[in-house]
Amino acid sequence: MKLKSEKMTMEAFQAEREEVMRTWPTGQGVDFEDGVRYQLALPESKRFSSALAKAEREGKTLCQPRAGVALVDEHIKLLQFLEPSCDLLPSTIDAYTRLNHYEKAAEGVARSLAAGTSLLNGFPAVNHGLAECRRVVEALKKPVQVRHGTPDARLLGEITLAAGFTAYEGGGISYNIPYAKKVPLERSIRHWQYCDRLVGLYEERGVRINREPFGPLSGTLVPPFVSHCVAIIEGLLALEQGCKCITLGYGQAGNIVQDIAAIRSLRELGHEFFRAAGYEDYALSTVFHQWMGGFPENEAMAFSVIAWGSAMAALSGATKVIVKTPHEASGIPTKEANKQGLDATTQLLNMVREQVFPASPVVDLEVELIKREVRAVMAKVFELGNGDVAVGAVRAFEAGVLDVPFAPATCNAGKLMPVRDNEGAVRIFEVGRVPLPDDVLAYHKEKIAERAKAENRAPVFQMVVDDIYAISKSKLIGRPR
Amino acid sequence: MSDITAVLGVIGSDCHAVGNKILDHALTAEGIKVVNLGVMVSQDEFINAAVETGAQAILVASIYGHGEIDCDGLRGRCLERGLDKVVLYVGGNLVIGKRDFAEVETLFRGMGYDRVFPPTVDLKEMANLLKQDVAARS
Repeated sequence: MKLKSEKMTMEAFQAEREEVMRTWPTGQGVDFEDGVRYQLALPESKRFSSALAKAEREGKTLCQPRAGVALVDEHIKLLQFLEPSCDLLPSTIDAYTRLNHYEKAAEGVARSLAAGTSLLNGFPAVNHGLAECRRVVEALKKPVQVRHGTPDARLLGEITLAAGFTAYEGGGISYNIPYAKKVPLERSIRHWQYCDRLVGLYEERGVRINREPFGPLSGTLVPPFVSHCVAIIEGLLALEQGCKCITLGYGQAGNIVQDIAAIRSLRELGHEFFRAAGYEDYALSTVFHQWMGGFPENEAMAFSVIAWGSAMAALSGATKVIVKTPHEASGIPTKEANKQGLDATTQLLNMVREQVFPASPVVDLEVELIKREVRAVMAKVFELGNGDVAVGAVRAFEAGVLDVPFAPATCNAGKLMPVRDNEGAVRIFEVGRVPLPDDVLAYHKEKIAERAKAENRAPVFQMVVDDIYAISKSKLIGRPR
Repeated sequence: MSDITAVLGVIGSDCHAVGNKILDHALTAEGIKVVNLGVMVSQDEFINAAVETGAQAILVASIYGHGEIDCDGLRGRCLERGLDKVVLYVGGNLVIGKRDFAEVETLFRGMGYDRVFPPTVDLKEMANLLKQDVAARS
């Protein structure tokens, strides 16, 4: 395996860059030095890392929507409409661009023009190119992040960072396993080392770009330790390439104790692993994603899901929260529905801001559980990689040591099966080949047995299916009817 | 009772895997032979699988909003490939934005789909309709 977690040399980067920039015509004319000058000239108010650092200092939770449409002027109108209601802005990239299907994206742009409405589920930044992307940044006052799901995001990164976007979501695992079917993990990790190196090069020129591994993965009953391991690995890979501003993410599970413990343990484990690997000079923040699974169709009910997530984001001490909308059950929201999600979230954040969740032995226990799980799996990852985290990650997925439930990628084992316990926390029903300590596994079994007894049924796959649909049918736990 | 083979998949560049796994599970439990192509399936892959397995139905899912682009033309390609009796279903969040379902249904019926389902459809009911439609077509 040629893969290694080692800073790319300038020669290797430049040689690869020439190829990358030729993959679509808009890559021509994107100049790194010009990008640095443009970034350095941006006002502080547009810098993502500065907004995060300020929020960290003040103990505030910032809110950020998802949003993106096919055409530039409409995209600007959408973001300008949302801007007063949020702290941080996104540009969500469409699904064709995510798979480098730029011809399909071009067709989507053409059909959207003809239809007079966006037929794409996001903003095709590569097709629009540098100058048009800069028009987006220039029309806004707040920092803008690229949010996507792209296994090979090298050209997208070159264009959007040169265009003044100041944060870049994704990673070689988190933008492969939940977003692709047949992309080899080794390749996507390698391609993301390029993206991380690009961010590192900007950093070396005094431009801090925020890097955020995508926390929620498949968004479906993902146990905290699974997403924490991926977040930590991608954090380590990014730090090695010279990134200095890392935001680790987690998707809401729904149980208050588990969600608060998840963000706390994520932050502490991040520092633990980053420092153990010798990195000291970095800024770490966290992001909490409001419920990523199925939503109720009823908009009033959807607001409750949004509000509960907002409360958890604030109580857990996350640096920012990614906001859902009352249209979530139907897919892409209108700008009005998007704003409603932000307003509902802001109301909760403001009400919870001064409150501190009391010190609790139950939360401490859950934090300790997650930490033991993560340490056990990470130890195996390093062992499989002979100390190299990139190699270890690839081998760990091959071996089923890292295993994301309900993910589409064929390089993911899919043997680990989660289910909720009697209080709604996500537990391990089938562990697959994930090396959790015996007593930890026994604890999960015991918690699931409590629920099985309460429901008078054996824990089978139907229980998992019931859990997947539960929130869209107004409950956290999928109890039998 | 039934001897139905149905090709199942999520069309286009759509990676939504969860519903696909549940559909597979639920339809299999209803006695339908499911040929599950998983996510990110092209129109040709659906048709090739139907030809190879002699499937009586193709069940197309789309969740991410590009359904209007991805699903158009499948009926025509089925006819070109000699699948003149195949039952075509489509379901999910088929368009961008929250639109009236009757409007969405008309749009996709116009593309040649026999039935159009919202994401909230009861899967048992859907399986029963499939059995009826296949019986009526053969």
